[in-house]
Amino acid sequence: MADVKVKKETNLSEPAEVENRIKELCQQFPHGITDQVIQNDMPHLEPQQRAMAINKLLSLGQLDLLRNSSGLLYRMKDIQSTSKMKGSDNQEKLVYQIIEDAGNKGIWSRDIRFKSNLPLTEINKILKSLESKKLIKAVKSVAASKKKVYMLYNLQPDRSVTGGAWYSDQDFESEFVEVLNQQCFKFLQSKAEAARDSKQSPMVQRNSSFATSHEVWKYICELGISKVDLSMDDIETILNTLIYDGKVEMTVIAAKEGTVGSVDGQMKLYRGVNPVIQPTGLVRTPCGLCPVTHTHTHTHTHTHTHCVRGCPCLTSCFLSSGV
Amino acid sequence: MTAQEVRLCGLLLREHFGEVVEKVGRHLIRSGAQNLRTLLHETGISIDLVKKSLCVLVQHGVCVFSSGRKGPGSPTEYRTSCDRILRILRYPRYIYTAKTLYGDTGELIIEELLQRGDMTMSSTVKTVADRLTQNMEEGRSMDYSEVSSAFSKLVETHFLQRCPPMAAAATKNGAASATPATPATPGTPSFPDCYRVPHVTLIGKGKRRLSNEDGEDQRSAKRAKIDSETHGDEGIYWQVNFERFHLHFRDQAIISAVANKLDQTSSEIVRTMLRMSEVTTSPTATCTKPLSANEIFRSLPSSYNIARPILDQYLTLLVDDPMEFVGKAGESGGGMYVVNLHRALANLARATLESVVQERFGSRSARIFRLLLRKRHLEQKQVEDFAMIPAKEAKDMLYTLLSQNLVQLQEIPKTPDYAPSRTFYLYTVNQLPTARMLLQNCYKTVANLIERRLFESKESKRLLEKSQRIEAILASLQASGAEPEQLTEVEEMITAPEKQQLESLRLHINKLDSAENQVDETIFLLESYINSTVTS
Repeated sequence: MADVKVKKETNLSEPAEVENRIKELCQQFPHGITDQVIQNDMPHLEPQQRAMAINKLLSLGQLDLLRNSSGLLYRMKDIQSTSKMKGSDNQEKLVYQIIEDAGNKGIWSRDIRFKSNLPLTEINKILKSLESKKLIKAVKSVAASKKKVYMLYNLQPDRSVTGGAWYSDQDFESEFVEVLNQQCFKFLQSKAEAARDSKQSPMVQRNSSFATSHEVWKYICELGISKVDLSMDDIETILNTLIYDGKVEMTVIAAKEGTVGSVDGQMKLYRGVNPVIQPTGLVRTPCGLCPVTHTHTHTHTHTHTHCVRGCPCLTSCFLSSGV
Repeated sequence: MTAQEVRLCGLLLREHFGEVVEKVGRHLIRSGAQNLRTLLHETGISIDLVKKSLCVLVQHGVCVFSSGRKGPGSPTEYRTSCDRILRILRYPRYIYTAKTLYGDTGELIIEELLQRGDMTMSSTVKTVADRLTQNMEEGRSMDYSEVSSAFSKLVETHFLQRCPPMAAAATKNGAASATPATPATPGTPSFPDCYRVPHVTLIGKGKRRLSNEDGEDQRSAKRAKIDSETHGDEGIYWQVNFERFHLHFRDQAIISAVANKLDQTSSEIVRTMLRMSEVTTSPTATCTKPLSANEIFRSLPSSYNIARPILDQYLTLLVDDPMEFVGKAGESGGGMYVVNLHRALANLARATLESVVQERFGSRSARIFRLLLRKRHLEQKQVEDFAMIPAKEAKDMLYTLLSQNLVQLQEIPKTPDYAPSRTFYLYTVNQLPTARMLLQNCYKTVANLIERRLFESKESKRLLEKSQRIEAILASLQASGAEPEQLTEVEEMITAPEKQQLESLRLHINKLDSAENQVDETIFLLESYINSTVTS
C-alpha cells in the first residue's frame, strides 16, 4: 500500500518516476508497449507529461520507437547496442538504422540520403565516423565497380554483390571458367565416344552418350579443381556456354520427383556433338578474313594502297605455304 | 545488281568471251532492257561487233530478247540478268558432278554444252565421241551409241533440257502475245517436250584426230560443216539445266551435314529419301513429299542391310535431332517421313555465318554470336553473364561485331525522348540480312581472286609466251624425230630461275583457282538459303 502510494505520488510529481515506470512496463512486455498500455497503467497521467517522458527516454536512447498496424510501439532497447551508440548523435543512429535494415545486400550512399533526408556532406561525415568505429563496412559491388554499398560490419555480402562463384575479389576468373569449360567438354566427349564405340543399336548409343547435369556436377566435384563449392546451377551455366560454343546440345526430359538430380520434375541431359559443316569456303581465302576488305576500292584510274594487286595477305599466303 | 555483282560479272565475261562482250554485257546489266540502237549509241562500239556480242550472249542463254515495250511493232529489246552470268563461276563444279555421276562421257558432254551454250544432240554426240577417241589407245574408238545413251541418261534425270523454242518469227507477225513460251527472263521453261529425247539416227564411231593430219583435218572440218548430214533432230537444241544441278548440290550439302552431325548410316538413309523424291519434289518446295518407312526400307541400297527396327530407330533419331533435317508427317505405312529442305538450308546458312564469325574474330566472339542467334535479343549485361566472358572483353567483342554489321542494336525507349540513360539497348542478330551481306562479301572476294589471277598472268605474260613457243618447238622436233641433243638444247633455252618462276606462277594460279571454287561453295549455300526464304 505504501509502496503504491509512494509510487503514485512520485508518478504525479516527477517525470523521472514516469520514465522509470515506463521502462519497467517495457521490460514487462518485451515486444513493446503501446500508448494505450501506458495510459492504462497510469490513468491520471496527462498526455503531455507522458509525451515528455517518452521523448526523454527516446532521446536518451533507451527506448525504441516502432510502428505497427495499430499505432506506435515503444520497446526497450538492447543495453549492448545502446552502449555502442553512446557518443553518437541522432543522425548517426538514424543512418546506422537504415544500413541495418538493408540487410546483407547493402545500401548505396545515395539511397541513404533519400531515406534519411540528410544532406550529402552530413552523410559522408557520418559514414566515415561509423566506419572508423568499425560498425559498418563498404563493399565494392561487382556490377558497377565504382559503386560502394554499405552494410553492417559482421555481415556476409550477398551473392549478387560479390558475383558468386565466378568472382574472387571482384575479378572475374576467366581462366577458372575456361578450365571448367574444357573439363566438362572432355567428359561429355569421352562419354559420346564410348557410346559410339560400343556399336550397339543407335537408340541405345545415343541415350548412353547423354549425361545429366547431376553427373557432370559430381564429376567436376570429384576432380577437385575448384576451390569454391560449385552448385548444380553453376555447372549448368558452364554447360550453357558449351552449348553456345556449338559443341554440346541439351535436351530436357521429364523425370520423377525424387530421382537424383531432378529439378521441378525435369532433368537436363547434355551430349557432345560434332559440328555440322567444315569451315566454310569463304574463310579459307585471305579475303574472307581480311580486316580491311571494305576499303578495297577498285577504280581503274589509280591504285589504292590496299588494292588487290599488292594485297599483302594474298602475297604472303602464296609465298609462305608450299602446296 | 549490286556493285559487287556487276564487277564480278564483268570479270567473268571478260575472261570467257573477251573485252567487247564484257562491255556490252556490263552495259546491259546496268541499264536493264535496251534495244539495239540505244546499245550502239551508249557503248560506242561498231554495229558489227555489237551484233556479234549479242549473238554470243544469246547463244549462251545469258541474254534474252523480247518485243519492245511499246508493242509488237517496236524494236526488240535485249536484257540480261546477273544470275545467269554468275553461273559461269560454277561451271567446274557442274562438270565435276557430271563426271562423278556419269563418268568421262557425261563429263565431256556437259563440258561441250557449257562451252558452246546450246547444241543439237547429234553434234554433241559426234564431238564428244571424237574427243574420247582422241584419248583412247590406238585402234580403239568410241561408239556413237555409247555417247547417245549417256546423253539420254542425262536427259532422263533432267540434267539436260531442250532450249525453249524461239518465237522470233512470230514477233514479226505481231502475234507475239500468243507465244507464252518466250521467257521474260532466262529461267526454266517447262513446256511439254522439255525432256523428250528425239529419235536420232546416229551410227558411227568417233574419229581420231592424228597430229600429222593437221592441215587435212582443217579441211575435213570445213567439209563436215558443209556436208551436214541430217540426223532427224534439226532445230532441237539442248542446254544444261542449271536448276537440276543446284538441287543436286543442295541434296549433297544436306547429306554431308547429316554425315558430319550424326553418322554414315543416317546420311545414307537421308540420301535414299532424297533420291526417291528427286523428280516428285518441285524445286521450291519446303519439304519433300512424305515417304513411308516401308518404302525407305525397300529402297535402301543393298550394301546397307540393316534390320527394319534399326531403321525405325535411325529415323526416330533423325526426327529428334535439334537440326530438324527430317520430320515426321504421319503414322501410316510405318511412319511417314519428310526431309525439311528449307529448314536444313537455314541451318546450313546459320552454320556458315557462325563459321565466318569464328574464323574472323575468334571462338569467344563466335560464342557471343551463337548466343545472340539463340536468344534473339539480349542486353549487354545478359550477354556477359550467359557467355561467361569478362565484362571488358565482352564489350569489346560486341562492339567489333557491331561495327562489322554482323550484330544489330535495337533501342527500346522507356521515355518518349529516347534519353540514353533511360533506354534499353538490345543486341540482336538477323539471319537473313546478315546472309545477304556475307553473300556480297563472297562476290567481292571472288572478284578479287580473279583480278589477282589475271594480274599475275599478265605480269608473267612474256615468260608464258616464251615457254609456249619452246613447247611448240619441242613438240614439232619430237614429231619429226630429232636427236636428243637438239631437244636438250631447246629445253635449255629456258633458264633455271625462269623455270622456277614458271613453276611458282603455275602454283599461284592453281591456288587462286581452287580458292574461287571454295568461295563458290559458300556462295551456293547462301544463295540457296536466300532464295528459299524469298519463295516461302
